[in-house]
Formats: sequence, structure tokens, C-alpha cells
Amino acid sequence: MLVVATAGALLSSAAPMTFGARFAARSGTLAKDGRVVTDEVGRRVVMPAEVRRIVTLAPNLTETVYALGLGDRLAGDTDVCDTPAAAKQKPHVGNPQNPSLEAIVALHPDLVLATTSINRLETVVALERLGIPVYTSDPHTVRGMVDSTARMAELAGAGDQGAAVVAQLRRRLDALHARLAERPMVHVLFVVWEDPLITIGQNTFIADALRYAGAESVVLSDRNWPQLSIEEVVRLQPDYIVFTSDHGETGATQLADLRSRPAWRDLDAVEMGHVVDVSEEAVRPSPGLVDAIEQLAHKLHPEAFSAENAEPLVACDARAGFKPAPTDAREERTSCAR
Amino acid sequence: MRPLTPRRVFTICLALCGVLFVAVVISLRVGAYPVSIRDIVMTLVNATLRRWSEIPPDFQSIVLNIRLPRILLGILVGASLSTAGAGFQALLRNPLADPYVLGVSSGAALGAILSLIAAPHAPGLIQAAAFAGAIATIAAVYFLGRRGGQLDSGTLLLAGIITASFLSAVIMFLMTTLPGRDVRGMAFWLMGDLSSPSTVDLKWLYFLLVIAVGSIYTTSSDLNLILTGEQEARHLGVNVHRVKLVVYVAASVLTGLAVSVSGAIGYVGLLVPHVIRMLFGTDYRLLIPASALGGAILVVVADTLARTVVAPTELPVGAMTAIAGAPVFIYLMRRRVR
Repeated sequence: MLVVATAGALLSSAAPMTFGARFAARSGTLAKDGRVVTDEVGRRVVMPAEVRRIVTLAPNLTETVYALGLGDRLAGDTDVCDTPAAAKQKPHVGNPQNPSLEAIVALHPDLVLATTSINRLETVVALERLGIPVYTSDPHTVRGMVDSTARMAELAGAGDQGAAVVAQLRRRLDALHARLAERPMVHVLFVVWEDPLITIGQNTFIADALRYAGAESVVLSDRNWPQLSIEEVVRLQPDYIVFTSDHGETGATQLADLRSRPAWRDLDAVEMGHVVDVSEEAVRPSPGLVDAIEQLAHKLHPEAFSAENAEPLVACDARAGFKPAPTDAREERTSCAR
Repeated sequence: MRPLTPRRVFTICLALCGVLFVAVVISLRVGAYPVSIRDIVMTLVNATLRRWSEIPPDFQSIVLNIRLPRILLGILVGASLSTAGAGFQALLRNPLADPYVLGVSSGAALGAILSLIAAPHAPGLIQAAAFAGAIATIAAVYFLGRRGGQLDSGTLLLAGIITASFLSAVIMFLMTTLPGRDVRGMAFWLMGDLSSPSTVDLKWLYFLLVIAVGSIYTTSSDLNLILTGEQEARHLGVNVHRVKLVVYVAASVLTGLAVSVSGAIGYVGLLVPHVIRMLFGTDYRLLIPASALGGAILVVVADTLARTVVAPTELPVGAMTAIAGAPVFIYLMRRRVR
């Protein structure tokens, strides 16, 4: 009897349900008193009156939410959100490329944050159809990241505190620019991936971040993540080779490794020991990127930050800037950026 | 093998419908969000009676808007692929024939990547492009596979394999050389994925499915005769050329349909018709409807596993069909040999 009833229900309900988008409109009424904003990819987002529960779909967005002091409003993030440590304790909705829609729905978010650099359009469209507002960020430069952070701070209701964080990021970038503008650019090879060798194209935010650190990528490519042959590296002869320290490797261990490799060991940069590491924040468009830029600037232009050049601009370790409790994180950040 | 009677066809199909129904209920039941059988029945009954307000919003989202459309898409894709597989196998009188061996999936993937390059943010276009790619490829393979005006099984298979590898190379070339393009979605087209079905209108897809499976079914008696030999069939008054054309076109449409909404879910078209043959015999009057149902069961079960085994992250369903399908296939094959 039950089986027959269910079968009947299934067959007859299937038709109205999936053959149209009428359900989406139904659940969308939740946001009726909110305002409509346009996100960074030009999609219209109907915002709720108040944002109390945020779900982030990428590590950099999770970091941004914490940096803005909104960690307590983060209802869920992805499996790969590891910074700050508190992010690991939040409920996860899967990986950024293929998150579970039902896990997201079950968290009842008022706002989902996505980014073009790792999420898929299909996920955004599917969530929108379920009546969940999704703001998609699309930063291509360091300033773009700061603007995007400001936008998210405003939308999520981070208030004065969010504005202060953003203002501070801008001040720090201006300070770096003032300090390094007159110095010659250092030509670097930024290594995204070692084997095969993948570097950055000139239109990525990382290329822009390098410019803030007083450096320039030796590779001029329109592609975002061009693959490079070792021959090309030998021809280009970068001044410095920059690695991200994502596997706990430091510049010193990388240098030792490169010195054992044919072709690599004959590079001028390797012979002179010009191999540096930078925090993996450098490859995440979040406020921590500014920490990484400062860190790299100190390594590439130590003379610009020497004692007589006054005003201590302490390199903040990106990780040290984050503490589980959002209030602490704020204090850390303030002291760092002084 | 017992003689085939309409009664036997009906009984077997009814039994398969029962299995499919159980698979659908289990698939509705399990997932990242806990839902009881009682909740499912309540939700479906209320949806049938259009008492939307009686359904809690969570169940509306999760049961009706996430799980059910995905299951219906799985049924569609499974039925399409396995019927197409059965059709191609009869047509080529070759047990290895399968939509993927014939290069169709590569053609669809190429269509999808070209549409991502041309207009990355146009929903619906990618499906149309994948469908066009599949149909164009299968038409090209058809003309390449003819010898002396006749469809030659060996030539056609070779033409398909060569076309598939050529198109895969073109895809690799495009993915590695295009500047800064967002080709992240491509991985899902190449692996097969049912996770974001809400962008397509299932009504028309089901309409096409019924027409195409129906056309293949009308040729099933002729296919039985063709399988004993084309000459013999011709002597018995079968218009072999017409039958081949009908089956080829219908199977191509089915494959294009499936690939355009889910990417390349492998193994279904090869596995299901073989399993059905081993269980119920080779008569196409039973094989066609039973393959359609069997394919639906396989894909629904595989997709349920894909979204639950490592929840909340989702696996590509194509990986699940291969992992779940290959051992079953080997078991049945060994049993038959003994």
C-alpha cells in the first residue's frame, strides 16, 4: 500500500517539480525584504535583510571572513579551508569544485560566497535556483582583492570593523608602494608547481602582488598558468626564484634541492643562492595576501627596510595573524600593520 | 533459455521497474542531510496534492529540488546510454561497440569546451554545443566507417577509435594553450557528473528519450534477424539499410542527449546490454526495454554512491559506474564461461 502510494506520488509529482523553475521562486521569497546587488561577475544577488549565516566555497573567502572578524557568522566552509585553524572545525560542504548542494542547504545560509578562481558556474546557478543568494568574487589584482574584501565586508555587515580592516590593507599597500617605487624591479621566476614547471601569467593577481613587492615575473604570458621548460628558464635567467612554502619547505631546502639538479644548478640565481620562499598566502586572494607581499618585499629588498630606512614595517607571518577567536585576530592584525 | 512471450517481457520489465523504484527510494533517503522514509512519503504526497505549505522548506529544497531532479536525470542518462549501447552493438554486430568507443563522448566534450571558450557564462549553450559535438562526431564516424557504400563493422570501430583519440588530442591542445580561459568545468565533462542538473529542462529530454528508444524498439524484430546475418535478413524481407539508419540516428541522439547533460559517463552502454543478455537472453524485443531500465538502475545506484561514499564531497559518477560495473561484468562473464 505504502509502495503504491509512494509510486503514485513520485510519478505524478515528478512532472510539475522538475519541469520548470517554479520551486526556486517559491523558496526565494525568503529574501523578499532584501536589496538587490550586482556581484563581480555581473549576476544579480537578492540580499537578505541581515546576514547571520555565511557559507564560503573557497579557502581565500574563508580567510577573508575571519579577517573581517565575522568568524562567528561562518556556518560552513569547504574541506580544504585550513586557515585559520578554527576554519577546520566548521561544518564542511565538500570540495570547492564539487560541493554538496544539500550540505549547503542544510546549513541554512543567508549568503554563500564563491569565487571564479576555483568554483564552478554550475554550482552558483544551482544554488541560485534553490533561492540561496550567492555573491561571486572575481579579483584579478591586489587592489581588486581589497575592493572585493570591502564589498564582502559591506554585504555581510562587518560594519566599522570591516571598514577598518580594509582601510588598513590599503594603507599597507600604499606604504609598500612608497617605499619600493624608486627601487629597480627584481626579476623573479614564481614557481606555482615544480613538476611540470608551472608559473604565473601577467594577468594573474600574483603577478600584480609581485609588483607590489618590487618584483616582476620574467615570464610574459597571456595564459594564467603557463607551463615552462627548463631551457626557457635558463634563457630568461631570473634574479630570484620564488617558491611558496606550502609543504613546509623553506628557501634553504629548496635551494639545496635545486643545487642537486642538472640545468637548475647552473642558473645564476641558484649559484648566488637567490632562492626564497613566501607564505602560501601569496597564492590566495585574501587579506593575508598583503602579509605575503610584505614578507616577499623584505626578502627581495632587504636594504629598503634596513634600520636607517626607519619606520619598522614588521613582516607578519600570515598564520600568526590568525587566532581562533575573532577578537584576537583583530588585535593581531592591528599590531601587525602598524 | 525459455521462449520469449509478451508475458515474459512484461514480467521482467515489471521486476526491473520494481528494482528501479527501490533504488530511487534509497537514493531519495540517503545523503548529507538526513531524511526518513516517512518524510519522503509525506513530502511526495503533499507535492502531488500541491499542498506546498505543508512541506517544510528544507525537504522542499533537498528532496524535491536537489535529489529528485538528479535521480530523474540519472534515469534519463542511464536509459539513454544503455539503449544506445544495445543499438550500436546490434548494428555493428560487435560486442565492443559502445557510444564512447565510437568517439561520441570526445566530440561532446570538444563541443562543450568550444562553447566555454566562446561564451563561458551562457547557461544552456554548453549543453547545446555538447549535443552538436556528439552528433557531428557520430556523423563523421559514420561516413568514415563506410566501405564501398556499406557500413563495415571493423572499419567503423577503427574510425571511431581514431576520431576519439584525435579529438582528445585537440581538447588537450586547447586546454593547455588557450590564454587565461576557464576550463575547470572541462574535467567534469570528461569524467561524467550529475551534480548540477537544474540548468536543463528535463521535459524535452524525456520526450526525446521516449521517441528515440521507441524508434529503436520498433526495429527490434529486424535487429534479431540482422544479427543472424545481413544476407539472411535481406532474404527475409528486412530493409537492412533503413533499419541501420534508424538505429544509428536514434542511438546517436540518445548518446548526444546523455552526454550533453552529464558529460562522459563511461561503461553504462557497454556493461548494461551485456548483463541483460547474460541474464535474459539476446532477443532485442526484451533487450531494448530491459537495457533502458537496467541502465537507469545502474546510474541511479552509482550516483547515489558517488554522492555518499565520501560525503560531503562528491565523486564523479563516471568513476563509480566503472568501479561498480567492471567487477559485476567480470563475474557474469566468468559464470557464463563455466
